[in-house]
Amino acid sequence: MPPQEQSPRSSARVTVVRILPIALVLGALIGLPRFADMAFLNAMVMVCIAALYAMGYNLLWGQAGLISFGHATYFAFGASCTIMTMAAIEGGSSFPTPLLPLAGGAASFLMGLVAGWFATIRTGVYFAMITVAITELVRAIVQRWDSMFGGEAGITSIRMAWGPIGFQKLLDVYYFTLAWTIIGILLLWFLQRSPLGTVIRGIREQEERVRFLGYDTHALKTLVFAISAGVSGMAGGLLAFTNESTNVALYEGAYSTTVLINTVIGGAGVFLGPVVGATLTTLFGYYVANLTYYWLLYMGLLFMVIVVYAPRGISGLGVDAVRRLRSGAPVRWDLLGRFALGWLVVTIGAIMTIELIGAVVQPSYGALARSSGVAWPPVRVFWVSWSPASPLTLGGIALLFGLGAVLLRDTAGTASRNVSTLADAIAGKPGPGV
Amino acid sequence: MDAFLVALLNGLVYGLLVFMVSAGLTLVFGMMGVLNFAHASFYMLGAYAAFLSGRYVGFWGGLVVATLAVGLVGLFSERLLLRKVRSFGHTQELLLTYGLFFMIEEVVKLLFGPTPVAYRVPDELRFTAFTIGNSQFPFFRLLMGATALVMFFGTFAALRFTRIGLIVRAAVERPQMVSALGHNVPIVFSGLFAVGSALAGLAGAVAGMYYPTSPAMAHELGSIVFVVVVIGGLGSLNGALAASLLIGVMTSFAVGIESTFGDLFRALGLSGLALPGLEAVQFSSIAGVLPYALMLFVLLWRPAGFAGNRA
Repeated sequence: MPPQEQSPRSSARVTVVRILPIALVLGALIGLPRFADMAFLNAMVMVCIAALYAMGYNLLWGQAGLISFGHATYFAFGASCTIMTMAAIEGGSSFPTPLLPLAGGAASFLMGLVAGWFATIRTGVYFAMITVAITELVRAIVQRWDSMFGGEAGITSIRMAWGPIGFQKLLDVYYFTLAWTIIGILLLWFLQRSPLGTVIRGIREQEERVRFLGYDTHALKTLVFAISAGVSGMAGGLLAFTNESTNVALYEGAYSTTVLINTVIGGAGVFLGPVVGATLTTLFGYYVANLTYYWLLYMGLLFMVIVVYAPRGISGLGVDAVRRLRSGAPVRWDLLGRFALGWLVVTIGAIMTIELIGAVVQPSYGALARSSGVAWPPVRVFWVSWSPASPLTLGGIALLFGLGAVLLRDTAGTASRNVSTLADAIAGKPGPGV
Repeated sequence: MDAFLVALLNGLVYGLLVFMVSAGLTLVFGMMGVLNFAHASFYMLGAYAAFLSGRYVGFWGGLVVATLAVGLVGLFSERLLLRKVRSFGHTQELLLTYGLFFMIEEVVKLLFGPTPVAYRVPDELRFTAFTIGNSQFPFFRLLMGATALVMFFGTFAALRFTRIGLIVRAAVERPQMVSALGHNVPIVFSGLFAVGSALAGLAGAVAGMYYPTSPAMAHELGSIVFVVVVIGGLGSLNGALAASLLIGVMTSFAVGIESTFGDLFRALGLSGLALPGLEAVQFSSIAGVLPYALMLFVLLWRPAGFAGNRA
């Protein structure tokens, strides 16, 4: 578990360096609706939700060192309870609309207390397995309990106006989601900085010693689990608020996977790492899902590459790079250049391979081959038609992979040596081959 | 009584199937502390491999090809991927196998589509083995159970009576000590990983004919297998067997119960406790919940599992 960056600095210059980028990003987010079209604004709403979800998730991982493989339950339960509250407001309840995400958060917090109490009886991989099993348990119940959770059809409601705010325009929804996301992240930031945060990190590092100091570690872990579930539930509530509907499909494993992938890609060891991952994959999905059927496969590949070659995620690489620049050591542009070029050709080769195979195994491709009389009708990838079985295509792909292997050999290290990663390349450490 | 026997037999067969998949997982876990999330994906790959090769080499040949092919996939995943992240610790290993689980599902979807493929019991094996009362017990179910039994006794004998089995058992208990005695634990581990994967592949090849062969297979069985490992205890074959059979039989009987939750509440004198809509839900429809409920109970009662002695 990479420890969180926890070095408080007093120098005013460092404070400016730390605050300035955040202020710039915030300013851009607030001014965004002036420049963005509706579709992009919609995507940004989803980015906010995914970011808050991942931040809540990473409280458990980054702080307590517990990796949940079944967080969809709390996200989805927050969504369900929020939509029920929305239906109640529609029916005349006086619950204030702006506080709706809190309804979802509170519900998931309570559920997290119960689930977390069981899950944190064990740690490590056992914890992981128990979270999977609890998710399956809840899913099996929810999917049968149609009168409560709406079954396949789901529950729909509408956003009721509150005072002067109508909540009908996308603009309102965007600012509402953004505000709650920031509130949630601030809450997590202060929690991390509080004495409770310190004790929780202590449990992660040396649970036995913390217990010897007189803390009830099981209760504390349960509390962290519940807070993590509660923040995830708030994110789920925002989703229900935005979509004005929920569905039992939210309880499925895919939503547990997404948040895990976002956190790994962004980096669990840096406070805002999960936000980076959530932004990247959500926008990736927004742009790439239209271009290819296999974007989940690409996500999986990216995940694997990060796990093997950059175990601390993208934000971990960023932290390393900043540290390197500050230390004043020269940047090894030659290594970085080879690294970038190597990964570029490998990526192109992988995309070619996947898209060609994907096109050829479609049933419609066989029909096309029969009707056109050509054994291997051409396939379009990267705006060019390729003949899938021609030596030129296959040789080209092999050449790309070979070139990539040669370029990456020295920077990435080889399987058995297991030394060099992108982090090393950034740090200017040559691989074992150099 | 007849219905009872049939439910019991069905439960035992299902339990043995679950055990076939859990056995490899729990041994690998016990030996290196690696929880292989992709283990159930190997089970799914077994079904697809047998489906694909069965067209050319027939049903029995398909079983052999599936076992060997999945064993090789397991071997390569361990040597080419898992080893790369070993120095980063168990967390990274867990994430890697989770990525593998995700990728295998997506690759299978890419190659075979998201819907089940037509992998069926061959006609020459579609006959009744015996009848109990007036219910017929298909031969194929018997074959599934027999495969699992042969596998269990084979594994048991290999672990109990061979030299390599001795080393594996010792390595599950005290890996560092075995290594210090001069045995190459990483090689033993690779072998164990491959054999465990091959067994999962065989289980998939047999079960895929009976249950739908679809990309969802891995997910469905995977969580049950985790429950078995939690309940059974770390690295324990006996614990895994007991947990698998218990879950199989419990689920099988629960499917046969026709009562609803309303009946339960009335029987307990709690008819006032009217949770909306829950009254009409039948027990049988939530039989799938039972393994997980059992797991929570075991966690309370014996956190280390049936046969576990290490927390």
